Amino acid sequence: MLSYRYLFSQLVRRELRQKYKGSALGVLWYLVNPLVLMGAYTLMFGFVLNVEGASRPDPYPIFLMIGIVVWTFFQQSLLSAAPSLIEQGGLVRKARFPREVIPGSAVMVQLITFAAVLVLLIPIAVALCGTLTWALLLLPVLVALFFAFTLGCALVVAVLHAHFRDIAPIVAAALLPWFFVTPIFFVATKLPPVESHPFLGTLLDWVNPVAPFMLAIRSVLFYGRAPELGQVVYAVVAAGVALTIGRAVFARMEGELAVIV
Amino acid sequence: MSDASLRPGEIVLRDATRSFSIRADQARTFKGLLLGARAQGPPPVPALRGVSLHIEPGETVGMVGRNGAGKTSTLRVLAGIVPLQSGEASSAGRMVSLLELGSGFSRDFSGRENIYLQGALYGFTKPQIDGRIERIIAFSELGDFIEVPVKTYSSGMFLRLGFSIAAFLDADVLLIDEILAVGDEAFQRKCLRRISEQIAGGTTVVLVSHDARAIERVCERVVVLDAGRVVFDGPTAEGLLHYHRLMGTEHGGGESIRSGGARDIVVADVELRDGAGRAGTVFHTGSPMHIAVVLRTRTAVPRPELALEINAADGSRVYSTTTEIQAAPQTTTRLVFEVPSLALLGGDYDVSLAAGDRGVDAAIDRTVRFSVAAEPGAEGIVDLRGSWRTLEPARVAP
Repeated sequence: MLSYRYLFSQLVRRELRQKYKGSALGVLWYLVNPLVLMGAYTLMFGFVLNVEGASRPDPYPIFLMIGIVVWTFFQQSLLSAAPSLIEQGGLVRKARFPREVIPGSAVMVQLITFAAVLVLLIPIAVALCGTLTWALLLLPVLVALFFAFTLGCALVVAVLHAHFRDIAPIVAAALLPWFFVTPIFFVATKLPPVESHPFLGTLLDWVNPVAPFMLAIRSVLFYGRAPELGQVVYAVVAAGVALTIGRAVFARMEGELAVIV
Repeated sequence: MSDASLRPGEIVLRDATRSFSIRADQARTFKGLLLGARAQGPPPVPALRGVSLHIEPGETVGMVGRNGAGKTSTLRVLAGIVPLQSGEASSAGRMVSLLELGSGFSRDFSGRENIYLQGALYGFTKPQIDGRIERIIAFSELGDFIEVPVKTYSSGMFLRLGFSIAAFLDADVLLIDEILAVGDEAFQRKCLRRISEQIAGGTTVVLVSHDARAIERVCERVVVLDAGRVVFDGPTAEGLLHYHRLMGTEHGGGESIRSGGARDIVVADVELRDGAGRAGTVFHTGSPMHIAVVLRTRTAVPRPELALEINAADGSRVYSTTTEIQAAPQTTTRLVFEVPSLALLGGDYDVSLAAGDRGVDAAIDRTVRFSVAAEPGAEGIVDLRGSWRTLEPARVAP
């Protein structure tokens, strides 16, 4: 797999160029997109749908932005990995190479976007939230773990979609409710229903595999605290499990790819 | 699949078996899986049925057979991109394949960028490709087009680019599928010359082609596939004969079904026969060839003539002769043109016949193609049947 690093970097570079070739803002669109989202959601959830009594963390836009950026990485990775094997079908039919490289490069492209936005976001968050602590050093580790987790999921989605062409729309549909259930807009423990039924809070924060990653990253960036040990352990285990299962499923199902893509 | 116990360039297929399903709508859906939908359509097509092959490093093997005989499937299995359902396939060394012409190219990127991508596909690094790229571009003769997005390329240009890349990637095994025909003659010759350079360097070559001449020039061994099975595996000349026989070009000609009703005299049927009178379309240099002709005369023709012309595959005229014949009205006459010892060398030819009145330009009535089995020793069209003779004892230089 390592002898194909050049192939991996070629695919990543191509993807980056192809996505934003010819668009007016070019590579800047990577940054504008999340900013626009943040602006829209702040407006909606910060002002328009302002629920009385629901205490919102302050500054809310930063709180939102962190959640959005983390979620966007996950969502876009899955959505671009799913059709990736079919789109690069020509390469698959051409030569024998480790095909994980294809969905892997799709996730990598998203990681680059994620990292670029983080680089801008960190100084702003630190400035506005006063979170310049040692905990920040954990951030690259958390991002790497989230990357591993997402990659594992992407491998499964990509190889499944090559076999069953409705997987991509199914995943896209599932991501929608998943988005609202993930603590991007809210702190689970502060939601009114959760105050009376605490187990709901546990559900929201632990059953959703993306939640611990998001909470851990937000803990570092927004609150300036190291994440809870439980979240870190969860992140490590989830990343390991997802990557292992992802690679196993991919290896199992990739044999016929040249025939079906 | 890549076996360490084999030498680089060695290929082993043992009882390789593989079928493909050919349903029109190949894609399954998850929903279909959950609902237990039944697969519909014709049964899977067996592409390979217990194919066994052992190719030594540096061998040059041609694969021929009808369309659908399993040649492309064999190459895809050898290239490692399609797994077998039973049996084994193993090989060692770097396999570079030229299978589908335009595949593996990013359409929005230039030829140059695609060279890097293809090199990367085979596991090369940038410095390794940098060391080769000038040779690749020079060989392709694409000039400025190399900087232009490949979506503008014609199929001939794809061949130039694809072959140039494959030809300079230090392959231990070259797998080439039926694509050379897309190029013009000059480039085809260039490709064949480059292939021979690689063969001289020890590269194993597996070439699939319908062009018997290309196979004959490159390959020392031929494998004939029919319906997924190996029906012949041996020296090229014999193999090509077997292939022609298999293709049913064994009995060429046959009675014309065109309406020759308006014609006073017409060649109705042509059959090529060997010295023993057996019909066929493949002959050997030096052996007899008989051209049997059936003439139909409707009304009396004052000076009936029969014209016979033999042309080479490129259209150049090899031989033509016009003879007066006897032809009474309302008769069917059978004649045979007997060549005691065919002076033609390996290649594809066609013989055309026309019957008519002398002085009146007759259109060709029938054309039948035939081949002369290529044999080493002489190339071209005519066997002059000369031989060398030393004039005096060789002198030792003072």
